[in-house]
Amino acid sequence: MLSRVALAATAAPSLKNAALLGPGVLQATRIFHTGQPSLAPLPPLPEYGGKVRLGLIPEEFFQFLYPKTGITGPYVLGTGLILYALSKEIYVITPETFSTISIVGLLVYVIKKYGASIGEFADKLNEQKIAQLEEVKQASIKQFQDAIDLEKAQQALVQKRHYLFDVQRNNIAMALEVTYRERLHRVYKEVKNRLDYHISVQDMMRRKEQEHMVNWVEKQVVRSISAQQEKETIAKCIADLKLLAKKAQVQPVL
Amino acid sequence: MASVIPVKEKKLMDVKLGELPSWILMRDFTPNGILGAFQRGYHRYYNKYINVKKGSISGVSMVLAAYVLFSYCLSYKELKHELLRKYH
Repeated sequence: MLSRVALAATAAPSLKNAALLGPGVLQATRIFHTGQPSLAPLPPLPEYGGKVRLGLIPEEFFQFLYPKTGITGPYVLGTGLILYALSKEIYVITPETFSTISIVGLLVYVIKKYGASIGEFADKLNEQKIAQLEEVKQASIKQFQDAIDLEKAQQALVQKRHYLFDVQRNNIAMALEVTYRERLHRVYKEVKNRLDYHISVQDMMRRKEQEHMVNWVEKQVVRSISAQQEKETIAKCIADLKLLAKKAQVQPVL
Repeated sequence: MASVIPVKEKKLMDVKLGELPSWILMRDFTPNGILGAFQRGYHRYYNKYINVKKGSISGVSMVLAAYVLFSYCLSYKELKHELLRKYH
């Protein structure tokens, strides 16, 4: 009954939301599940079930009778009902009764003796299952955490990118400088080459002119010396030589 | 005597004795409603006594006891031949 009220309460808002849609609005906006999602997160399972006395009768019955009859009410009611059923033979005593009594007695004895240990065993199995799932969950959480840390580290690296760019910029500037100087040097060499060429051309011209002039002057001089002048100069040279020879002969004696 | 809350929404324990017939009559008796009633009853019992971390034997034994009683009621007709006394 309570669940029915809860269902009605959750159905009402979603119905109201559906009623707001006109026939033409359906294409424009579709309202999906707008009710409270009741599935996540799940509330944890209750620890113990409802209390039951004698393994058969829920506690609520005892609480129901407590205000009117006190503590012993339900037990007296039970005894009275059993005696009534026996005496009026609503419950018939047959040979089966004795087998029933022995079976029920055995069951009660076994349950009383081994119930707790079986419960612990089941609890341990449950715990193992839960521990496994928890492990998986923790492993997956750890994986995600590691991924997050990696991402953060890489993001931090992004902040240091400017070092890389500075180095690259420096490299490029240096390369530019080097090529600039290289070209400057080349320009200088080329210009010097051209100037040297002009200088050497000038030198050569001057040398050639000098030689030519010298040759021409020699040739003119040689030409101007006529044959007669040649004989006279040769005779003079011989007379001078003889004089010098005489002088030379005289000199060593002294 | 009319009550403040309409009878339809009240739980069984809050219904007064005079309103009981009307309350019973306005229950949903369609097949869907009956199915819903069975489902609700099952889930109430299940979530209270069985779907817990440390369930006890009483979750099962109550169902078995109810079954025993029900089958006794069904077989009372044959058991009547084994009465020990004729007049009670």
